[in-house]
Amino acid sequence: MVSRQDIELMAHLMRRAGFGASRDEIEERLARGYEETVEELLNPEDTKRLGDDVIRRYHADIHESRIPDPPATEWLYRMVTTTSPLEEKIALFWHGIFASSFSKTQQSRSLAVQIDMFRRFGLGRFDTLLLEVSRDPIMIMWLDNHDNHNGAINENFGRELIELFSMGIGNYTEDDIKQCARAFTGWTVGNAEYMAARAMKASIWPYGAIAWHFDYRDYDHDHGEKEFLGESGPFNGEDVIEIIARQPATARFIARHIYDFFVADEAPVTQWPYTPPLDPDAIETLAGVYVDSGHDIRSMLRVLFNSDFFKKAQFARVKCPAEFVAGTMRLGGGVSEPTLDMNEANAVIGYMGQSLLAPPSVEGWHEGTEWINSGALVERVNFAAKQFNDVEKPGVRQIIDRLANENGSAFTPDELVDSCLDLMGPLTKVEESTRNALVSHVGKKGDVSLRPRTAGRESDTRVAELLGLIAATKEFHRA
Amino acid sequence: MSYLKTIGVMNNNPTGRGFGHPVDLAIGRSGHIYVLNRHAALARVGVCTLDEEYLGEIGSYGHEDGQFWLPTAIAVDNRENIYVADEYHHSVTVFDRSGAFRNKWGERGSGDGQLDGPSGLAIDADDNVYIVDQKNCRVHKFTADGRHLLQWGEMGEGEGQFNLPWGITLDTQGNVYVADWRNDRIQKFTADGRFLTAFGEPGECEGQFHRPAKPAVDAEGYIYVADWGNERVQLLAPDGTFLQSLRGQATVSKWAQEFLDVNPDESTTRDQSNLVPDLPSHFNTPYLVSTQTEPYFWGPASVTLDADGRLYVTESSRHRVQVYERVRG
Repeated sequence: MVSRQDIELMAHLMRRAGFGASRDEIEERLARGYEETVEELLNPEDTKRLGDDVIRRYHADIHESRIPDPPATEWLYRMVTTTSPLEEKIALFWHGIFASSFSKTQQSRSLAVQIDMFRRFGLGRFDTLLLEVSRDPIMIMWLDNHDNHNGAINENFGRELIELFSMGIGNYTEDDIKQCARAFTGWTVGNAEYMAARAMKASIWPYGAIAWHFDYRDYDHDHGEKEFLGESGPFNGEDVIEIIARQPATARFIARHIYDFFVADEAPVTQWPYTPPLDPDAIETLAGVYVDSGHDIRSMLRVLFNSDFFKKAQFARVKCPAEFVAGTMRLGGGVSEPTLDMNEANAVIGYMGQSLLAPPSVEGWHEGTEWINSGALVERVNFAAKQFNDVEKPGVRQIIDRLANENGSAFTPDELVDSCLDLMGPLTKVEESTRNALVSHVGKKGDVSLRPRTAGRESDTRVAELLGLIAATKEFHRA
Repeated sequence: MSYLKTIGVMNNNPTGRGFGHPVDLAIGRSGHIYVLNRHAALARVGVCTLDEEYLGEIGSYGHEDGQFWLPTAIAVDNRENIYVADEYHHSVTVFDRSGAFRNKWGERGSGDGQLDGPSGLAIDADDNVYIVDQKNCRVHKFTADGRHLLQWGEMGEGEGQFNLPWGITLDTQGNVYVADWRNDRIQKFTADGRFLTAFGEPGECEGQFHRPAKPAVDAEGYIYVADWGNERVQLLAPDGTFLQSLRGQATVSKWAQEFLDVNPDESTTRDQSNLVPDLPSHFNTPYLVSTQTEPYFWGPASVTLDADGRLYVTESSRHRVQVYERVRG
């Protein structure tokens, strides 16, 4: 017998490892088990989603590189329709850390390739991922490594590699940064001079943008001896990454990032040197797994999702805009073919403060409660209301049909609110005052009967309206 | 076939020379080339000549008469009236040769003669109009003024069935060839819809297709296929035997050269670049290779033949048309 606690826990897992799940999906996954679901998410097979072919045929301009929106829309399709949501969630996680933007690159097709790199390597060894990031042409151009030459270093990439991408402030010297930069001289992009000229301004090219690829110029690499983090040798970039990846500081830094994204909102990264973690034991546990597993992210997440500290952290995070929009669309259902609505949904993510592929700086977005301000909240509420107020959306119909088969299909306002809160989450932590307001609203028109089932009946509309109101509650905006 | 020239340049403005995500092309008896642009908010037909003289636009973006939202296909009749299909409006709009709006017809639905996402157009010797009805997975035949004559097809993989068909063409005998897009094949029918044969199967090898977008057939029955998902064009003998594959070899068009001439900062570094580079191994699909290799086809959505047998390949992601001509042996 499935308990309410089981449902809540599976819903929690799907919000964190994915973008939420309908009650039907939660029940299907519970039939297979919690730990089995964790393994399925970590090791996806036979992923189903709306095909790239139909998306690309319909959105002829999704290939366009002059603006960031088309590839971001392409990504949103994946978030909303994939059967392997952790692939997209881990890409979103790394996009926030290895934050690189359209703003300095004018090259959204290569940004899409970067996101795909996060999918392919984001759950593997951290060393491998760092190496891919270092070879990623968007990252190279974003942090000026194409200007990092033998005898004339540019420290930008070397600094961020250590400070923002792996170890954090306080664990290295300024000279380590210089040595790191020397190790990455010659790591550039193909046709670097032409691509750099084009990255500096919007251009028609003249046949549209040419996407970028990595190029190593051995003649421009500094082959000399380097001292880096206490070790010495004629290091190249691969050597430096191997040294970085085995630093204890890296283990703790990555562990804290993973905790922040998958467990509970931490303080902003800039405060980490001065602010202890919310749960130091959890960070130590995750850092230990990092070391013991050979820096394997999948192993860290396996321990995390099965841990008590994760299971107790329900609703401890504010959904970021991409999570909110993708999750709302998944629950609302109905994305079975490409439509122009997806362009609008992607735009709304930007209005909420998180333009995908265009983070505000190399530090990524400030997350947690900083996602919520009056403007963003209005966008969130309006978007969700539009999704749930449509009784024709398959997800909304699914909820109404379930209700019609429960409780004798007749509900007092209290019963309807509790049932809808349950099917929208379950949203177990809704404050009493919020619940009372919902009950009061439904009560204005009395009890609700969902029988007989005839199309377009007013009670269906009342349920849909209630779902839209629930989507406006504080609790629905937390994961 | 051998490469002749490239026409086009990207134009992200509603008017002026150049193209914005062109998806189809038709050629009138006058020699005018009508290029259908699908660019969001900038949809229009651009008119030019093989000599790269730009003549202007027909239609614009919008929901009014003579406007398009998501245009898919273009064809011209014997009087050089211009027909444009729109999968958002589920309709066909007709212009006269001067570009003046004549009429519009088509109705959304799945009933007889109704359309759901029209995606291909072809016009026969009597000016009857064949329309590919993408989401209803069928082909219709209408008179020039939109009177429904017949229809055939349904969703499926069998003979005469389709899965999201796209482009269509006719041969000189009036036989009908349909790009059965998601079944990765070209189907051939008589003028009244009787199945004759099919060419191709899924794959990247010779004679195989990945999401073919549109066929063209010349006077001798040779078949040209915009093999969209494989980012190439294939030439087949009349019996379907593979003859040649084209990957694209675009050069700088007249309009592109004019752009480069006034942007020397870009042209200088461009001249020093290798535009057909060796790529890292993870760029392992035709699509990814085309994003990086400017001369190659990227998004070959349409192939069209002119009266002299020249082949025009319309590339929606490179905003240009590559022209090839027959090699007479």
